[in-house]
Amino acid sequence: MKTFLNAILLCVFLVPATLFAQSTVTGTVTDGSNSMPLPGVNVIVKGTTNGNNTDFDGKYSLTVNNGDVIVFSYLGFVTQEITYNGQATIDVTLTEDAAQLDEIVLIGYGSTTKQDATGAVDKVSDDDFNRGAIVAPEQLLAGKSAGVRITTNGGAAGEGSQIRIRGISSLSANQSPLIVVDGLPLDQRGVQGVRNALNAINPADIKDFVVLKDASATAIYGSRASNGVILITTKKGQSNSPWKVEYDLKASSQQVNNTVDVLSADQYRNLANVSTAFDPSLTGNANTDWQDEIYQTALSAIHNITVSKGYENFNFRVNLNHVTQQGTLRTDLYERNAINTAFEQRLLDNDLKLTLTAKGIIDEYSFANQGAIGAAVSFDPSQPIFDQNGNFTELGANLAPRNPVSLLENDQNNNRSKRLISNFNIDYKFWFLKDLRFNLNAGIDYAENNGKQFNIANPNNPGAFPFQNFYSGLNRNTSLDFYLNYKKNVESINTVLDITAGHSYQEFYVASDQTLTGASGGLITNPVIINRNGLESYFARASFDHDDKYLLSLSYRADISSRFSPDNRTGYFPGASFGWKISNEDFMENSFFSNLKLRGGWGITGNQEIGNNYAYLGIYSPAVNDQVSALINGQLVPTLRPNGFDENLKWEETSQYNLALDFGLFDNRLSGSVDVYYKETKDLLAQVPVPAGSNLTDQIITNVGELTSKGIELNLDGKIIQNDNFNWDSNFNVTFQDIEVENLSLVDNPDFVIPTGGISGGTGNTIQILRPGFDPTTFFVFRQVYDTDGNPIEGAYVDVNGDNQITTADRQPYKKATPDAFIGFTNNFTYKSFDLSFTFRGSFGNYVYNNVSSSNGTLATAINAPGAFQPNVHASYLDTGFANPQLFSDYYVRRADFVRLDNLSIGYQLPFENVQVRASITGSNLFVITDYEGLDPEISNGIDNNFYPRARSFVFGLNFIF
Amino acid sequence: MLRLKSIKTIFMSLALIALMQSCESRLDLVPEDNRLTAEAAFATEEGYEQAFAKLYGGIAVTGQNTTGQPDIVSDDEGASGFIRSIWKVQELPTDEAIIGWNDGGIRALNTQTWTAGNDFTRAAYNRTIYQVTLVNEFLRQTTPEKLDARGETDAFKAVVNGYRTEARFLRALAYYYAMDIFGNVPFVTEADPVGSFLPPQISRSDLFNFLETELLAIENEIPAAGANEYGRADRATVWMLLAKMYLNAEVYTGTSRYTEVITYSNQIIGAGYTIPATAYQHSFLADNDTNGAQDEVIFAVPFDGLNIQSYAGTTFLVHAPVGGTMSAADFGINGGWGGIRTTPTFVEQFPGEENSADQRAMFFTDGQTKEIEDIGSFTNGYAVTKWKNVDVNGNAGSDPSGEFVDTDFPMFRLADVYLMYAEAMLRGGGGDMTTALGYVNQLRNRAYGDASGNISSSDLTLDFILDERSRELYWEGHRRTDLIRYGRFSTQGTWAWKGGVPQGTTTGAFRDLMPIPANDLGVNTNLEQNPGY
Repeated sequence: MKTFLNAILLCVFLVPATLFAQSTVTGTVTDGSNSMPLPGVNVIVKGTTNGNNTDFDGKYSLTVNNGDVIVFSYLGFVTQEITYNGQATIDVTLTEDAAQLDEIVLIGYGSTTKQDATGAVDKVSDDDFNRGAIVAPEQLLAGKSAGVRITTNGGAAGEGSQIRIRGISSLSANQSPLIVVDGLPLDQRGVQGVRNALNAINPADIKDFVVLKDASATAIYGSRASNGVILITTKKGQSNSPWKVEYDLKASSQQVNNTVDVLSADQYRNLANVSTAFDPSLTGNANTDWQDEIYQTALSAIHNITVSKGYENFNFRVNLNHVTQQGTLRTDLYERNAINTAFEQRLLDNDLKLTLTAKGIIDEYSFANQGAIGAAVSFDPSQPIFDQNGNFTELGANLAPRNPVSLLENDQNNNRSKRLISNFNIDYKFWFLKDLRFNLNAGIDYAENNGKQFNIANPNNPGAFPFQNFYSGLNRNTSLDFYLNYKKNVESINTVLDITAGHSYQEFYVASDQTLTGASGGLITNPVIINRNGLESYFARASFDHDDKYLLSLSYRADISSRFSPDNRTGYFPGASFGWKISNEDFMENSFFSNLKLRGGWGITGNQEIGNNYAYLGIYSPAVNDQVSALINGQLVPTLRPNGFDENLKWEETSQYNLALDFGLFDNRLSGSVDVYYKETKDLLAQVPVPAGSNLTDQIITNVGELTSKGIELNLDGKIIQNDNFNWDSNFNVTFQDIEVENLSLVDNPDFVIPTGGISGGTGNTIQILRPGFDPTTFFVFRQVYDTDGNPIEGAYVDVNGDNQITTADRQPYKKATPDAFIGFTNNFTYKSFDLSFTFRGSFGNYVYNNVSSSNGTLATAINAPGAFQPNVHASYLDTGFANPQLFSDYYVRRADFVRLDNLSIGYQLPFENVQVRASITGSNLFVITDYEGLDPEISNGIDNNFYPRARSFVFGLNFIF
Repeated sequence: MLRLKSIKTIFMSLALIALMQSCESRLDLVPEDNRLTAEAAFATEEGYEQAFAKLYGGIAVTGQNTTGQPDIVSDDEGASGFIRSIWKVQELPTDEAIIGWNDGGIRALNTQTWTAGNDFTRAAYNRTIYQVTLVNEFLRQTTPEKLDARGETDAFKAVVNGYRTEARFLRALAYYYAMDIFGNVPFVTEADPVGSFLPPQISRSDLFNFLETELLAIENEIPAAGANEYGRADRATVWMLLAKMYLNAEVYTGTSRYTEVITYSNQIIGAGYTIPATAYQHSFLADNDTNGAQDEVIFAVPFDGLNIQSYAGTTFLVHAPVGGTMSAADFGINGGWGGIRTTPTFVEQFPGEENSADQRAMFFTDGQTKEIEDIGSFTNGYAVTKWKNVDVNGNAGSDPSGEFVDTDFPMFRLADVYLMYAEAMLRGGGGDMTTALGYVNQLRNRAYGDASGNISSSDLTLDFILDERSRELYWEGHRRTDLIRYGRFSTQGTWAWKGGVPQGTTTGAFRDLMPIPANDLGVNTNLEQNPGY
């Protein structure tokens, strides 16, 4: 801290000193490759803070003394130094830095270069990010990397996404990748009280994502690597850079552009002509589109103020961020206030580098009651919002849907979450051996949340009381790791050695408590829930680069997890990969390939994220409250339950093979890669039925079964047009994948199935199965029989086993929610001061079960309600005419291929002299091309039920750099 | 700026700290909240009592909270409870009840078209076997050796031994239902471990023998009839279970044991239970533990609107039959679930049907049709108003929200014993006609409010008893067992929607046994499916 203070003091004294300047120099900086002016070049007097940036025309002006050394620096170009000797103008031409073009790519506990990477590693940087008013950082990456599928969980304010890298490799354990922010691995379970734990990372602060896809790359993260790893690096200041103040505003408006098709009030009233059981005396005269009433045009604003400055040995960056985001569901609101700081200090002739990053975030949510979405679909459309007395119309039966507007207006649930993410890094080159480096990372991610919920008493039940819920929680993730790295070019054998070995310890502590309305209407306090788990690891990696042609990398990690018994606690995770830079071979000298590299890798990774910290121990759970007691010895005694457990629980292991070809053509104007992978998970951590009688419950998490996943990924980058005024870059990526359950039980039984995918419309119903030989999201349905006009015949299904009865034995596996292929297609154009970019995303071969339609699209929905009320009917009833629900008919499993224009952005750089101003307009989620008739074809689990619609948004952006 | 040397010192000490933090013992973590390891759970007398309380809780509630902490996760939590799951299997495939819901395989119960994949038969299987493992765990944790090792006092050991005896009864009760419904089930005792092993299958007759031995072994250890508190097992409860086993012994083992039915019925009857002089319906009201109806109750599962809450017990039995134009307030609840009604066949058991002088004919007919055209429509079939959450004065139960009921579930009551006596007498098990006739007429007297419904010895036939059992014990979870004993569950006897056709048809004899659930066959190679599935 003292050094920072010194630096700040230094700065305070130096600034007045520069006022004694004697003369002014001006000039233009141009790009050597195309003679275009370069804006934003740092021009600074060496050893001082006296500096400036070139303007839009590449011009600069600087006050200097004779003998000063002026430093011209720009990312990706060779830095130039020129001594001032009274010249009036100094024009400079910067040349591209070939070495810098070979990007540094983080690979976990170290880095490599893009050319030397042997694993399936993809770096997505600032320039490639999705545009728009993006609050969730993972959305920057959607559609940008082959094999990475990012699906938003819906349109709620501050909502997160499901991230899947190369499909899935587990059934019951966590399927999300490990996310490492500036060296700190985040808790894969997220933090309590927020919709998206990743929102703590400000998108405006992210420099790049590195996605580690294959096991040879991820094995260094061992037990948490089976789902891939995403390394996020946040922006830091640059050394020797002048003051830079940036203000960025994104204001947006969002609207729901599709709602569920239900009967209009007139169609609904007309049901009286269809069935005598429909009671017209219960209907009203209003015409209310309840879905119109619950959605709003949502406004959002994102403000970022960033200040950065760099000295010779010290630089910092401070960002202030404010986000206000309304949800399209009325009363849904998310607010974020954050400060993000990064400090870097170099000492001992740059041998010692200290980096401190600290983020403080306050997340505030007003969670709208999402029950309103379902209620709006089923509430009687013939009723007005308010009754004659001005009260919300209610239907008066306990199980009737509640007035959707009342649910939004009267129910409240607010949570405030405070979070600190900080990481301190020491990087030291030993004074006696400069090739040896020590790196230490100490990180903490600490969050506290406090929420309160208030729901009014159910107006349909005179005996009901209001519901109150006060909840709070604490998440603490502390991490300390260090490693030694030795990197040496051993010229005698023409080989570069890069060897790393280290140790890490990470502990997760999660506590939560809750006081809520109990059975008799009074407040009761639930017992505090505490969960702690630890992970200790040893890791090592050795990489060899022989003759800049042959690459070999070996890694090894041992993880010791508190989640398993001492006998099974340690897991070993090796990884190996090779690369052959064919284009560096002599025989390729005159080839039209500018780059050609063959890569291959293998590794074993694990998964221990099973949601239960003590699953190997026989634990007794007390009753949560006094509502489930037994009469013993004249008293109501709370019960104490022995829970099921598996003392032999151990790691889930995934072996993955990867083979790939990287290529560049026409001087890398066209570059790309093709990756082929095969993943096989053994000892799956799956929640499976236990043999009845063998355990203290009917399902436990245990190691059983196998899952395979294979795929091909193609990534193409093209610099299609490059000239003085016009540039066109394009990226296309496509992924083909196939996931299959191989086995599910201890005994090898191909007929064994586990039902999954709970649906609404009855209790305990499921629509999917896990079954050997099938994708884990396979639907399990009756095959609908159609009449000659192609209309489904109610209750008529294919009698698959020919026993003349339709029984559960006739349900068949049919289609799946997992896509066979998905694509991302991005184009960036620049013309003079204009830029334009757009990103399409698409998915093919995925199906969705329309649960809203299946559970609400029948006459029975209206006439068979449990009480004197008649819910509205889904419009699919008009097509099917079904009298009763046919929940398991494949009629409701629909093709959900889609292509979505994720975003389209147009920007213009305004011609100002002293300030850079960029204005932009972005449209997000502009259109979806799909055959799917439901709300949205992009439903991650394949069951479309009361989905919070994704909004279409228009964003106006302004960016000022001073 | 810091001096070079001091930086090096700081840096080296940081490195040292980093090295020292490696300590694997920090990975030996146990719960820090109120969850307990087994040793900690049995470290206090309260721990024993609460673990014991769970054994009774296992037949009433579904988990460690009203909902959300389920014991069993494969099935819907409410449907996974002991009474609800058994009730559905015992009533829905018979002429006594039909349900309109869309839940998975529930329709197949109505139509006798279930397969091994049925989720409702699975629920009954999972719950009964779960109850067995719960008892086994308690017995493992309370062995004399463990009690000695923990240094328990002699007085407390005696208390725990009493718990163990009752625990064994509760295990026998769970096994009894498993034997009755599924026949040949996985067999585990406290001698088995918890974890990865495949329990062996026991044949129905071997299980019968085990249960007989077990019940006889605890008969004299368990408190005498009436000596235990309400809602807990005593000697009469043991006799009752034995009597029910013997009554159906021919079905279970191929050998009839009617003599023993008479023996044990006599012992129960001699223990002081009486048919109360109150209305029949009082046995099914919110205050049925205090309104006098409890005088005939041998074993009840207590429920309480505030402290013993579950969607699986009588809360289901009160809510699910309310629908159509029925007034939920009359039932002491906040709303009906519009599910269960009865078939015309059952209505016709009563002379005069819905207008019968027999007060046990409790039908709601307003807006309901007697015939069932559409199973899914609540108004098809008469509704039944037997179970209510109001007391004798019509006041609702203790849960102010009207969700959970106070009504206890009278699992074993004297009326059942009287009818068992009469049936066993007619089947040649001994006893005498006069006594039997007297017993039956006691029930008729209560049903009619006077002697107008009394029968004579010539009326007392086996067929009459089957019908009378239905009239007296309907919707209490007995019908399937009774029909099977009479051979009228599958190949004989038709009623609406049996076999999947509106007028009803017969089904295969194999349906007298429910299938072993497919998922358990899938994971346990020791199991063999019941014939026909």
